[in-house]
Amino acid sequence: MKVKAKARGNTVKVKAMFKSAMMGKEEAAKKKMQASFITHIVAKVNGRIVYEVSTGPFISKNPLFKFKFTGASKGEQLEITTTDNRGKQETKLTKIK
Amino acid sequence: MKRRKFLTVGSTALAISLVPLSLSAVNFRESSPQTWEASSSVDAIKELYGSSDGIAGIIKLKAPKLAENGASIPLNIKSKIDLESISVFQDANPRSAVAVFSVPQGSVVDFDLRIKMKKTANITVVGKGRDGKLYKTVQKVNVSIGGCGGGS
Repeated sequence: MKVKAKARGNTVKVKAMFKSAMMGKEEAAKKKMQASFITHIVAKVNGRIVYEVSTGPFISKNPLFKFKFTGASKGEQLEITTTDNRGKQETKLTKIK
Repeated sequence: MKRRKFLTVGSTALAISLVPLSLSAVNFRESSPQTWEASSSVDAIKELYGSSDGIAGIIKLKAPKLAENGASIPLNIKSKIDLESISVFQDANPRSAVAVFSVPQGSVVDFDLRIKMKKTANITVVGKGRDGKLYKTVQKVNVSIGGCGGGS
């Protein structure tokens, strides 16, 4: 997971790139592999949810998400957690620049 | 005595900090599993919001008219009104739902994502306002090379 967060004035711009094959049932059957995709992404600052998305397997491989939010300043920690279809969770902390 | 007092204070503080989190986080895969199985976007929208009609032209969807590569179609969703959730659907793949965003209060609706599409079809973006009204935007995207597991 690669995350960049930049504060400009009151808004924070975030670019987040996740590593996942994003393979659904059909694609996985073709390649004879197990289906694997991210199902849920949450971003938090100081315990407050700023971004949340539930995803299916039709997002592109190694998905890139961009979003904006307000109410955070430089130096604060942005916490992003992803959950995949097998329940595996991954969390990363990023400092807002 | 002091230690007991400290423990109770600590546990109540923990409880308070945990409650709002669990309330505002909505995992749409768990709350409406039927949406993710529907094959047409009309059915999927009905499963999620109860109706598939919406006011057009409020949510702005930026998508290419002609996508050369169906494996990665960039989308940009923007809206100035106060929305509760936004969802993205397409009619090209075996199942229709792509992503459902839940919008926290006071945040900016400006999302970028990339999706896969097997063939030429419509992309539908539906938003639900905090007043309960539905907003809907549809755009057709031409796909020259399919994205779901190579050309087909």
